[in-house]
Amino acid sequence: MIDFTFTEEQELFRKVAREFAEIKIAPHVPIMEETNRGWDEVIKELAEAEMIAITIPEEYGGLGMGYIARLIALEEIARVSVATAMMNQIFGLGIEPFIKFGTEEQKKKYLPKFATGERLATIAVTEPSGGSDPKGCRTKYKKGNGTYFLNGRKCFITNSHTADTQVVLAVDEDNPEAFTTFVVEKGLEGFKPTHEEHKMGMRGCNTGEIEMKNVSVPAENVLGGEGKGLKVAMTAIGDVGRGGMVGCALGLQQACLEAAVKFSNERILYGKSISNLQAIQFKIAEMKIDLEAGRLLGYRAAAMQDKGERSSNEFAVAKYYTTEAAQKAAKMAVDIHGGYGCMEEFPVTRYLRDSYVLGPSAGTSDIMKVIISRWALS
Amino acid sequence: MEEKSAPVFVVAEQGEGEIRSVSLQLVGKARQLADDLGSKVGVVLLGQNLTKVAQELVEAGADLVFKGDSDLLVPYQAELYSEMIVNIMVEHCPDILLIGSTFMGRELAPLIAAKLETGLAAHCIDLVINNEGILEQKIPAYGGKITIVCPEKRPQMATVANGVFPNPVLDIARSGEIIPIDVPKEFPLRVQTLEIVKEKSEGISLETASVIVAGGAGAGDHDGWHQIAELADLLNAGFGSTRPAVDAGWTELETMIGQSGKMVNPEIYIGVGLSGELQHMVGVVAAKIMIAINNDAKAPVFEQVDYGVVEDCRVFVPALVNKLKNNKAEARRAAHVN
Amino acid sequence: MLNIVVCVKAVPDSSMTAKLKIDPITKSLPRLDIPLVINPLDSHALEAALQLKKKYSAHITILCMGPPPAGNIVRECLALGADKGILLTDPAFAGADAFATAYTLAKAIEKNGPVDVVFCGMASSDGATEWVGPEIATFLNMPVVTMVREIVEDQGDEWIVKADYDHGHRKVKLKLPAVITVTRNLNQPRTLSFSGILKARSKEITVWDREKLDILAERVGLKGSPTYVTEMANLENRRKVEILEGSLQEKVERLVQILSDAGVV
Repeated sequence: MIDFTFTEEQELFRKVAREFAEIKIAPHVPIMEETNRGWDEVIKELAEAEMIAITIPEEYGGLGMGYIARLIALEEIARVSVATAMMNQIFGLGIEPFIKFGTEEQKKKYLPKFATGERLATIAVTEPSGGSDPKGCRTKYKKGNGTYFLNGRKCFITNSHTADTQVVLAVDEDNPEAFTTFVVEKGLEGFKPTHEEHKMGMRGCNTGEIEMKNVSVPAENVLGGEGKGLKVAMTAIGDVGRGGMVGCALGLQQACLEAAVKFSNERILYGKSISNLQAIQFKIAEMKIDLEAGRLLGYRAAAMQDKGERSSNEFAVAKYYTTEAAQKAAKMAVDIHGGYGCMEEFPVTRYLRDSYVLGPSAGTSDIMKVIISRWALS
Repeated sequence: MEEKSAPVFVVAEQGEGEIRSVSLQLVGKARQLADDLGSKVGVVLLGQNLTKVAQELVEAGADLVFKGDSDLLVPYQAELYSEMIVNIMVEHCPDILLIGSTFMGRELAPLIAAKLETGLAAHCIDLVINNEGILEQKIPAYGGKITIVCPEKRPQMATVANGVFPNPVLDIARSGEIIPIDVPKEFPLRVQTLEIVKEKSEGISLETASVIVAGGAGAGDHDGWHQIAELADLLNAGFGSTRPAVDAGWTELETMIGQSGKMVNPEIYIGVGLSGELQHMVGVVAAKIMIAINNDAKAPVFEQVDYGVVEDCRVFVPALVNKLKNNKAEARRAAHVN
Repeated sequence: MLNIVVCVKAVPDSSMTAKLKIDPITKSLPRLDIPLVINPLDSHALEAALQLKKKYSAHITILCMGPPPAGNIVRECLALGADKGILLTDPAFAGADAFATAYTLAKAIEKNGPVDVVFCGMASSDGATEWVGPEIATFLNMPVVTMVREIVEDQGDEWIVKADYDHGHRKVKLKLPAVITVTRNLNQPRTLSFSGILKARSKEITVWDREKLDILAERVGLKGSPTYVTEMANLENRRKVEILEGSLQEKVERLVQILSDAGVV
């Protein structure tokens, strides 16, 4: 049936990711927090450590390590920096449509460069008219002579300014039922990132808006076939997007638990560590329970994904559970710190802010419930 | 030999005509063990211009000093030294062989032990003959002390650091035999010390410092380490460390105090940001006053010191340094006024 | 091509060994599941071999004696770039002191075939006797240099190295084949990478037990150890501590007072 242990090799993957996060990423965190910048250096580190190549098949220059390995890596990175894990997971999300739906030419053209970090990807679906309602998308495309003209605006896009290769969802100007995903590349006239967001959490992870004004996209940049856009976008977001959020959330839960344990062991009240007090112990127990449960949900879905099975429902459950749990864990960690929990030199303040950005990313908790109820009622 | 028991031997080490303190200490200890066993103390001494040193060894308690005095024996050559020492061991079959855990000793001892196919205990902090006449070798481990024995093979070998045993009182009236031994002619050396280079040693010598500040993992990073260094500086103290600090790269191995590092004997010891692991604490042989600063109230160090401060050293040390600086400044101003 | 053997020991993760304490009542060690890692100094030994491999072309064999989980350590070394691994594991090897360990490792090195250099960390983080390297050299009838901090000349079969010595270092000429034990200062070990782990999939780990090594039972493990542990006891150095009370500033003042009374300031 099920073996709940990681293989020797997976433990080594985890070791690589943990050491990478602690040694290479941790030093960047303070700058990212202070300035909401610093992502160029971080992206260089991610590329050098082969973090972006994890899901790309070997024959296209990637490592082909699979989605369990991806989840392990994201978990470990998020434990140190949720912002970094988010960036990396969205690169992966932008890459996924090429892997699943790209033509041989497209795969050969883009995947090797994604693997080395020479090109960076993202996916652009959300608009002011809704992310939870992708069909309400107002970015339009008009067919021309062997080309398509795109017009519209996308918002809350992670890696909006850093990604030079964006998978953009648009609706046919003449047919509101037809959606297509296009590969929109930096340098195309009329395409540019515009407004940058200042998020309360995941600072240092670039989020912003992109604008397309009569962008002429060649026909070979249609990804997954004309009219298939919703399938392309939703498949990628359903597995890889949600799966990535699970990684971010699990890492954050782990960080919250470690901070809570450390503080409660060191903090002396009434003559001994507060870890001796049941109220504190119970909070820690809840954090532990949620972490154990979240891990099982996440790795179960990832295992299915590795087997090639459809896993978007399982990921919806995992995404809902872990992102909600991370928010709870962050609050509990802050509470355990007492007054110190409000002081910025304690990382739990960052954990609290980061946790709230996990919720609406890759589908809100309410949307997850819509999906899960559909699954249960079918 | 017509003794009741086999002798206790020491491999002595000298440099530039001076005997190493650890060698004298081990001869003193060997004397005590030999008296317990009713046997003699033998010493092997290799080097050049050894007359004075050989005599000192007798005064410290040696009955026999096997002296190899030749320019071929300077500097230390592993294969030649081990060959000559092993020959003496085979001829005299000692019960016990002690070697100082100096750089030379730490390399030479296992070479000898392997050749003689006998057992060896490293970095001992005590040696005792038990009721069965076996040498009990005590070493610190796992937060306590473990006893090692080598019941069958001979000699029972142990290496001991400088400072574990006291300096013996030299008795100029003691007499002993000094036996010259020959260096094997044309001995092929596959490993050859070409030269020994002294490097500048900085700072107050830990072995002689009367105040020592030791820093550990609690320093957190280079900045935290510099804070502790500043404290040591202000107190005119020797600045030592624990293994985690060395491993983190904040300081060199030479500053490490402990079982496999230096043994120190200060009046005042202040342990900062260290947990009190036995491997380190055993290096503090004796101190009048011991103080610890650590943020973990449960740290074992608080059971081994006279005064404890439960605070994050990264917060406490700067505050302490500040206060000391202010006091100094005030004292200077007062001196000026007067 | 250089044939290199790197001896690696699997040791408990030192960040957690603080929990491994002699129980004051049973006077023995509790059974704790502390994960095994590569002995830190052995990482430097492996790094030295990997750098030589890059320079001159070399074949690196990892040799590790330990319980079956030590195989993970061998695999990690292969992922770092070694070519082949040998795990020596057998219940008969348990309880080995430095002598028996060195003997077993030496026999395995002999069985493995011709070797030019054997690299070892100068000491293990858990035993820390520093003897296994020199004893292996003696059993193999090879010369040894301990505590090497720099390899100055490494061409041909006569090397020049610098080793820590007293208040400085010594310069040593060494004829291969030889054993070299290394210090931290020799190099900076590389970190694991994903591609290294994937490449290790095709590398072989051979497992040898006592029979395969053709060693007599009396020469290995506890039986083959001239020394063994007879007793464990607890710390005797206990002092009655006064924990300073009050605010941070109050504690600072009190400590300054203590130091002043002691004549330090």
